[in-house]
Amino acid sequence: MASPRFPRTRAWLDETARSVWRIGWPRTDKDRAAVMISSFFLHLPPARVSRHVLRPSYTLGLGLISAILFGVLTVTGLALMLYYVPHPPEAYRSVMDLQSVVTFGVILRNMHRWSAHAMVFVVFLHLCRVFWTGSYKRPREFNWVVGVVLLLLTLALSFTGYLLPWDQLAFWAITVGTNIAAYAPVVGDQVKFLLLGGHVIGPMTLLRFYVLHCVFLPLAVAVLISVHVWRVRKDGLSGAPEGSKPVEETAGVFPPSTKTWGLMALTRRPTVSVEARDPEDEVFAWPHLLYRELLVALGVVIALHVVSLLFMAPLEEMADPTRTPNPAKAPWYFLGLQELVHYSAFVGGVLVPTLIVVALLALPYVDRHPRGVGRWFAPERRVANAIFTAVVAVATVLTIIGTLFRGPNWAWTWPW
Amino acid sequence: MSDRERDSTGGGRREFFLTGCAAVGLASAGFVVSTFRYLVPTVLYEPPARFTIGSPSSFPPGSVTFLEDRRLFLFNGQDGFFTVSSVCTHLGCNVKRAASGFECPCHGSRFDENGRVVHGPAPAPLAWYALSLSPRGELIVDLERTVGPDFRLKA
Repeated sequence: MASPRFPRTRAWLDETARSVWRIGWPRTDKDRAAVMISSFFLHLPPARVSRHVLRPSYTLGLGLISAILFGVLTVTGLALMLYYVPHPPEAYRSVMDLQSVVTFGVILRNMHRWSAHAMVFVVFLHLCRVFWTGSYKRPREFNWVVGVVLLLLTLALSFTGYLLPWDQLAFWAITVGTNIAAYAPVVGDQVKFLLLGGHVIGPMTLLRFYVLHCVFLPLAVAVLISVHVWRVRKDGLSGAPEGSKPVEETAGVFPPSTKTWGLMALTRRPTVSVEARDPEDEVFAWPHLLYRELLVALGVVIALHVVSLLFMAPLEEMADPTRTPNPAKAPWYFLGLQELVHYSAFVGGVLVPTLIVVALLALPYVDRHPRGVGRWFAPERRVANAIFTAVVAVATVLTIIGTLFRGPNWAWTWPW
Repeated sequence: MSDRERDSTGGGRREFFLTGCAAVGLASAGFVVSTFRYLVPTVLYEPPARFTIGSPSSFPPGSVTFLEDRRLFLFNGQDGFFTVSSVCTHLGCNVKRAASGFECPCHGSRFDENGRVVHGPAPAPLAWYALSLSPRGELIVDLERTVGPDFRLKA
């Protein structure tokens, strides 16, 4: 490069930029490692990642997509909060305003709604992926537990958000949902009373759901997503090729020599912590991982825009406690439960969901067989995969029946 | 410090420390319980559980009136007045009057004329509420007093 024309200005600008970015645009391997380690936003992924992890066919990017959807929901949600009034009947009117007069309001609301549905779906698929690849095994047991809690929080977020438009759909879905909670033994009625902030769904309920939806639950999810990703780093990524130990940094055990990133990247002299990894199998996270993540994010945002432009988020008449729509349905992800509830409220509303959650939480501590980790449908895990797949299939069938095949009075109807 | 010394001086200190820890733990637990109490509303701005619904003469004999705001059916039968709740005992939807009895749109529960479960997932019959007459001769419903299906109010 020729000598710059204003060397002192250039130097000043350069110094100023450095104060913001620390490392400039990385042009060497050393800087590519440094930029990942020295940035608050980039330090979550490691500086170098294995090629195996980058294969889209292994993770399908489901965890990443969930996180992106959470980001979209946060941004659109904050925007919606500027117009939404959490008190009936203004709540319904403010949603109507968003739908009809607020600039871009309808897109924001559609996007928020469809992202919420997508997030429930993608988080569930992520859980299935982790199961089918056996990725919850030691040392990642606890991260599976964190993931299950994140799934429950996602459902809670979706459920609390469902009431906010204060339309008939919202009101009766929450009526059915909170009455299911009342079937819990001993504390059921008290739980319902606390949830509703009274005996019936009213202004107090809306305010409680609003605060849960906009403050408590998103904060909890943000913290747990951080823990979740952090543990992925610390426990090591699953799916290392058979034979090599998928250990990066074992919890509580620190490598005896703590080499810096510079030495790791430049000298190819592995420290203990990376001994199990094959340096030839790894690439720099910048640009290989980051560009892929950006592309996925772009794809998700484009898809959400297309869906939000084509399909309107449902909004029915204003909530009317005296008129139950026929049929009254819970949100789709609870329709499998509602189908069970149709046979018995206690079995469908309390027993089955409790058993499923307990089984999911206990799974990595019960299924301790270390074989078949890191591959889709490993033959060593035939029994576990068969059981899990059967449960997923039953849940899917029940949800489809509840969604499409149930009409007035919950009688069987054909969707065509 | 020798063992003997620790026993004589350190023991007292340890005891003091443990007592302190227990006290702080207890106070924290109390704090958590009180915080939980904060979540329970003490004032409810809900409709009262005891209310008048008008004079008996405004409900002609043999009629069934659905008081939608109160979620009640008021019957003026041959031997007197009685009320049946329209809140399904399953998951709280409003039941509707059907050819014989009541039907719930949410999960298909069916009840007979007296609110007893005929079919479906509802675990209990529809509630019957006590009726009485106010000094001015108006019908009073008391949602906090449930009665059996033999209840009738002569008015």
